[in-house]
Amino acid sequence: MTQQAQTGRLPADGPAPTDDVIRREAGFGIDDLLERLWDLLTSMKFGVIIILALAALGLVGTMVIQAPPGISADPAAKADWLNEVRPRYGGWTGIMDQLQVFTIFESIWFRALAALLTASLVACSAHRLPGLWKSATKPHVAIGEAFFTHAPQHEFIAVRGTSDEIRERVSRVLNKHRYRVVSEDDGVLHLYADKFRWGPFGTVIGHLSLVVILGGAIVGSMFGFRDSNFVVAEGSVAPVTSGEGISVGLVQFQDAYYTETGAPADYASEIVIYKDGTEVASQTIRVNEPLRYGGLSFYQSFYGPAAAMRVTDAAGNEVMADGVPLAWSDGDTGRRVGSFVIPGADLTVWVIGTAGTGDPIIAPGQMRVELYQGSQGTSVDAATIDQRTSAELAGYTFSFDREMQYTGLSVARDPGTPLIWLGSFLMIAGFVLVLMFPHRRVWGRLVVRSDGRGMLSLAGAGRRDVNSNTEFTDLVTDVRAAFTTPTDA
Amino acid sequence: MYKMSEYAFIAAILATGLALILYIAYALSGLRAARMQTAGGNVRTGVMGFSGGPRTAALGRYATILGWLGFAFLSAWLVFRTIATGHGPFANMYEFSVSFAWGVLGAYYWFERRYHQRMLGLFALPVALALMLYATTIPSTVEPLVPALQNNLLLSVHVAVAIVAYGSFTIAFAAALLFVIQPEGGRWGLPKPEILDDISYKAVVVGFPFLTAVIVLGAIWADVAWGRYWSWDPKETASLVTWLIYGAYLHARVVRNWRGRKAAYLLMLGFAATLFTYFGNLFFGGLHSYSGLG
Repeated sequence: MTQQAQTGRLPADGPAPTDDVIRREAGFGIDDLLERLWDLLTSMKFGVIIILALAALGLVGTMVIQAPPGISADPAAKADWLNEVRPRYGGWTGIMDQLQVFTIFESIWFRALAALLTASLVACSAHRLPGLWKSATKPHVAIGEAFFTHAPQHEFIAVRGTSDEIRERVSRVLNKHRYRVVSEDDGVLHLYADKFRWGPFGTVIGHLSLVVILGGAIVGSMFGFRDSNFVVAEGSVAPVTSGEGISVGLVQFQDAYYTETGAPADYASEIVIYKDGTEVASQTIRVNEPLRYGGLSFYQSFYGPAAAMRVTDAAGNEVMADGVPLAWSDGDTGRRVGSFVIPGADLTVWVIGTAGTGDPIIAPGQMRVELYQGSQGTSVDAATIDQRTSAELAGYTFSFDREMQYTGLSVARDPGTPLIWLGSFLMIAGFVLVLMFPHRRVWGRLVVRSDGRGMLSLAGAGRRDVNSNTEFTDLVTDVRAAFTTPTDA
Repeated sequence: MYKMSEYAFIAAILATGLALILYIAYALSGLRAARMQTAGGNVRTGVMGFSGGPRTAALGRYATILGWLGFAFLSAWLVFRTIATGHGPFANMYEFSVSFAWGVLGAYYWFERRYHQRMLGLFALPVALALMLYATTIPSTVEPLVPALQNNLLLSVHVAVAIVAYGSFTIAFAAALLFVIQPEGGRWGLPKPEILDDISYKAVVVGFPFLTAVIVLGAIWADVAWGRYWSWDPKETASLVTWLIYGAYLHARVVRNWRGRKAAYLLMLGFAATLFTYFGNLFFGGLHSYSGLG
């Protein structure tokens, strides 16, 4: 993340040293190979290249029209879709499809890069953790004299007193600044003080949070359920295909518009959730107010016209009475189309609504019914029916009672979502740790002569950075003040 | 309130425009002074390594004051518009553009106070001014919110955070541009390359967590409104691309030899991605098409 520059323990410079080793040994043992792989994965350059490659794929994903999700599972639908975009991409369409450009975020390229990124994130974290742990728990206390003249921040303070007294006094100042102090004495008194020693772990947390998020995405795609085209007409109940015995009833759908601009103001579906036929939940859902029940979430997504249809057989028994959502639209004519199956008969019924006032076949207020042999798809019969009238087709009576609306919901269960939020939280927490609690370290070296006069050297490891500079300066000022109190004079 | 906000907006454009003229004059006088200095002229040298005769310094001061005035007017616009619409002024392209300009000016003056590098204004102010002028071409009428945007809290926070991120990235870009246009080692009375590099880095260090927050908040909102936290909607994807580029920058800066010029190019790429994310919904449609521009 952001503070790696200052730790000096970076896998920054690529695999250069190992190259020498390998050349010297002149062989490619499995150990060499693993070592090279490790160096590659922990190399910052490699990481940057992966990130930029992912960005490039993302750019492709925004520039090239992406196929609707799930379409690649259905060859016919995919062929249709490819023909739709062919005018735009011409002869490239086939090649682009082969290269999975139209489903770039499910493509082998994207997955491979995401896998490499994950491996690199884990490797880098594993690479860095021991060093971070060591500098937090076993800091280097005794440090050479040269450091105190070369450190980016350093200061010399003349002091008086015994070694212990001076240590006491300096420690008190440091403690007041919320530093912890460690000292070692080998003839020369070495001091080490730091605060926020867990701050640098924010880097690791931030990086691993991405792995958690990617894990969440994988869990979601493997164990989740999603139906983005769930439709149900007013007054009907439709089953959710997640295999839990859940069905959704729509009491009423309402759309409201602003009177001045005609822009949509509200879409609201009053829905009831049934589990095994028993009502378990109900709510009026809106675009920003989904209903959640037992891990499933129901979102207002789209809406459209529906037809209340009734079918009776020759004996006068009602075989079907339901609202039929006209959820598809016929691309050529702009007519809305819905369908249902007559129970117990090999018949599929298409219900087709008007394209508007200019429609030569189906006028507004009419519904066209077309019957097809279910198994062969051959046309059986067709008729256009006025509202509140009926027509005889293939021995059945089809009644079109009235027009109404259907609602389109997105029904989803995504068990990966908690991981996504956990990852997001960890990422933000990582930033907060790194940015708000930077590890501050100060070293001291005290030499006291026999006459009680001594020299205290202080040095900081901060960057040449405004914040850590002022902090170090404040610290030094306070230490000086502690040795120029009236009692010393 | 609506009238007041319009007046404040016009005043902000005028103030920022005048400020920009002064910034340009300031830059030119600095350039002239630098030339005279290299030619052996007798010019006093300013603190930050470039020459600052009394006239130059005065120009700079007035430029800053006018720019602050522009920022103050935009802040007034922000308040009036919020009162007039009842939500943060972030719901369509007009509101977002002016807010973006506010973010750029705010970020610029934060950095000017901290680093005392007025030359940044030479590139930061034009961005702000361009955004405001662009906003004048868009109808500013207050329109009620479509259903998807009817989430006052998330609308305000999601976009407000985006404005901080975009503003910071603009400063990073301005510093990178100043870095790239000067020859190796620095010249022309421009700020030192190391200082520019540091400013860019600081700006990204601020902007990157904010962009992360934008994306996370966006995911939360998407989960509430669209039923999934991520849909590969073009604007979503573009923001991810932007995030990746700045992420790459933060890592690249650590690699030896990639600091400086190469990092500056990445920042320019990042800013291009930022603008692409920002204007994206005008040409790639998708779920974020709330621009109010058809």
